[in-house]
Formats: sequence, structure tokens, C-alpha cells
Amino acid sequence: MECVVQGIIETQHVEALEILLQGLCGVHRERLRIHEICLKSGPNLGVVASEVRLLCDLEHPEPSWTVRHIGGAMRGAGAEQISVLVRTMVESKASKNVLRLFYALGYKLDHELLRVGFAFHFQRGAQITVTVSSVNKMLKLHATDEAVPVTPGIQLVEVTAPASSENYTEVVAAMTSFCEYLAPLLHLSKPGISTGVVPSAAAAAASLMSDGGGTTL
Amino acid sequence: MPLKWVMHWQPNAGTTVSGQIVTEITQCVESINGVKEGRWKATLTYYKPMLREQALAAEFPRDFLGISLPEQPNKYYFIIRGQRLVLEADSSIQTIMEKLQSYKSKVSLNFEGFQYQLGDFQLRVGKVVPSHSENLRGIVMEVEYLPISSIEKSRQIMGEFFELWQEVVSKRSLPGQFMHMEPNFAEYGLGDLYTSQHTAVQYATVMAQLIATVQAVQAVRN
Repeated sequence: MECVVQGIIETQHVEALEILLQGLCGVHRERLRIHEICLKSGPNLGVVASEVRLLCDLEHPEPSWTVRHIGGAMRGAGAEQISVLVRTMVESKASKNVLRLFYALGYKLDHELLRVGFAFHFQRGAQITVTVSSVNKMLKLHATDEAVPVTPGIQLVEVTAPASSENYTEVVAAMTSFCEYLAPLLHLSKPGISTGVVPSAAAAAASLMSDGGGTTL
Repeated sequence: MPLKWVMHWQPNAGTTVSGQIVTEITQCVESINGVKEGRWKATLTYYKPMLREQALAAEFPRDFLGISLPEQPNKYYFIIRGQRLVLEADSSIQTIMEKLQSYKSKVSLNFEGFQYQLGDFQLRVGKVVPSHSENLRGIVMEVEYLPISSIEKSRQIMGEFFELWQEVVSKRSLPGQFMHMEPNFAEYGLGDLYTSQHTAVQYATVMAQLIATVQAVQAVRN
């Protein structure tokens, strides 16, 4: 399982967000360049239609592949009340011919994206990962060098943490508390619920840039 | 990693494998001073597509296999022999396959037995048994040469060991012999440096041979 929230930020404020995250996390950012291929089962395959994502990490000299399956979100009154989405998620690293395997099994390309940005991984009541990335689409099949932004001037921020059915309430609490620190710059909410950009972002960013992120929280 | 050959027992025409043959092969290993080290087990699973329209089954691979190997307990291997495709993934790929509900396990076979050390060689003799029964379906043997990882460089010494081994086994006049059929690893995109993916491909090849043997026996009976 994982806990996840998302938000968006204007590209002009990303540097301020990075300074804030650097101050909050106390770790260095890692560069992010991920080619994400979303596959769907062919029309006749499977009891129900299924979807799987292949992530190719292009940041390293030798690209590495991960298979990711995102399952259903936790439901019920308890899940409604919390501001974080809790969902099943399983990942597996795989060798480089994984796309060929899924094609051979009857999966078809649905869409592909290139995420370019940075990530912070740190421990703060949970093993939290924050990614800030621009989402790009390919004009030609797999042409990652010719990708263009889906939403120019806007970047996606995603906060995730692994969880289990035993500890997810603590993970949700840790994430919620962490997200409050980012509130001056962006709103974070469950995926699919767009809250737009934050009106205070420009002022908050200006303050952060002049402060240089020196304030520790 | 050290290179290995995976071999299967080819029964003589009209005969089948038996527990007695396994016992005698084990005695052969002990007679050449193989030191028993412990048990080992590999599991091979055939998957079949879950289809809404069975008539379209021909569009999907019929020989889709998954293999777990004792040498890499946290990994899982998928093979489609018809397309010369081998994939290495984390064990969690099995959970992903279950969640996708597009393929399900048709039959699982265990390869299990004892491991022996013999100088620079490691031998594993194993019974091939379906996971939910005790019926012996075949016999396999792994010969691993610990100092070398190159398939080409080890070919001579492995060949010599195999000849010696065949001699030891032939003294018992058993109704069959071990066969080594080296797959064309290059077709699977695998190089000369041995990896667990080579082992997975060898198991898939051995399994195809065992099935062919069983089918041949059935054809004779019918």
C-alpha cells in the first residue's frame, strides 16, 4: 500500500519549493527523468480490463525498469475523512525487455509520458518521497528526446509514502503534518481532486528566495 | 556467477522414470565422493491467459512460464520460449500478475532434491513433481562449476565432467541416460557470461524435453 497526495505549482515557484524542501528534509535532491509507459490489457484478455505501468529510469547511464501496479483506493467512511489517498501499489524491478514481455502477453500501449524534475527521499514519521516534475508527452513513439510539456508552466508535485494496513493511520498523520509546511506554496490533495495553484504562492516564494531557505522548521 | 549445465533424465523408449532411478543416481554421486550439503528446490509454473472469448486463445502465448530459483530467492523469471524471451524481475512481480487477473497458474512443478559438493563442482539432483501430487514426472541434475562464469571457457571441463559422469551412471545399467541440450542463449539476448537468466532458460528447455518425452510415451501407449 501507499499513501499519496498531489498538487500543482507554477514553474516559476519551483525553485522556492526546492529551497523549502531542502530545508525541511535536510537531504539533497535527486534528479528525476522517468519514461512512464502505461499499458492496458487487450480487448479479450483478463476477467476484467487491467492496467500496468512500466517506468524506465533514464537518469542513470544504464536505464532501469520497474513494473508498477496501482490498485483500488481504500474506501469507506474512514477513507473519506482523511485528506490522503490510501491505495494498493505493488512494484517490481525488471530487466530491460519487460515491455516486449507485456506486448507478448497481449497488453497494448495506452499512453506514455516523460517526467522530468527532482525528488527528495527522507524519513519524517514515515518514509516520504516528494517528487516535483514537469509531465511531458511524446510526439513520436518513445521519442523521449522530443518530448513537450503537457501543461507548460505548471509542474506536478506528488508526495508518497509506503504504508501497510497496520500503520497507514500513522503514515497519513505524518504526511498530513508534512504537507502543512508546503501549504504557502501549494495545495496537496487526493489525486484526481484538482485544487489549482495557491494565491499566496508568489508571496511565499519571494519570501523563501530572499531568506535562502535558511529558516529551519 | 558460476556457470552450470542443467540436464534431464531421458528414459529409454518404453520405460518411465522411477524413485529407484533417483536413488541409484544419488548413490552414483556419493560413490564419486560427493558431499551432501542440503536440500534445494526450484518451482516452475505454467500460466494460461484468462480469456473472455476462448476461441481467440491462439493469439496468446501457450508456453508462458514462471520460475523461482534457489540461487536467487528474491527474483522471479518469466519465459516465453516460442518468442525466445526471458525476463528477470523481483518476486513481487507474481503479486502484480495476480492483481492483473489476466493470466493464471495452470500447473506448477517442483524440482527438488539434494545438493552435493565435489571439489570445484556443485551437483544438484532433483525430482520433478507436480506441486499438488507425489507423482514423479522426471529427474533433473544441475552441474555447476564454481571457478568459471564463461560458458565458452568452461565448455571443455564441463564436457569432460559430463563424460566421466555418464561412465559412472552407465555402470548401473539404468534404463536411460542424462541429456544435456544447451539452448541457444544468444537467441534470448544472453551473452557468454553466465547469469540466473541462463539457468531459467535451461529449465524451460528441460521442461519442454520432459513434456516431449511424456507425450512420446503416451503416443506409444495409444
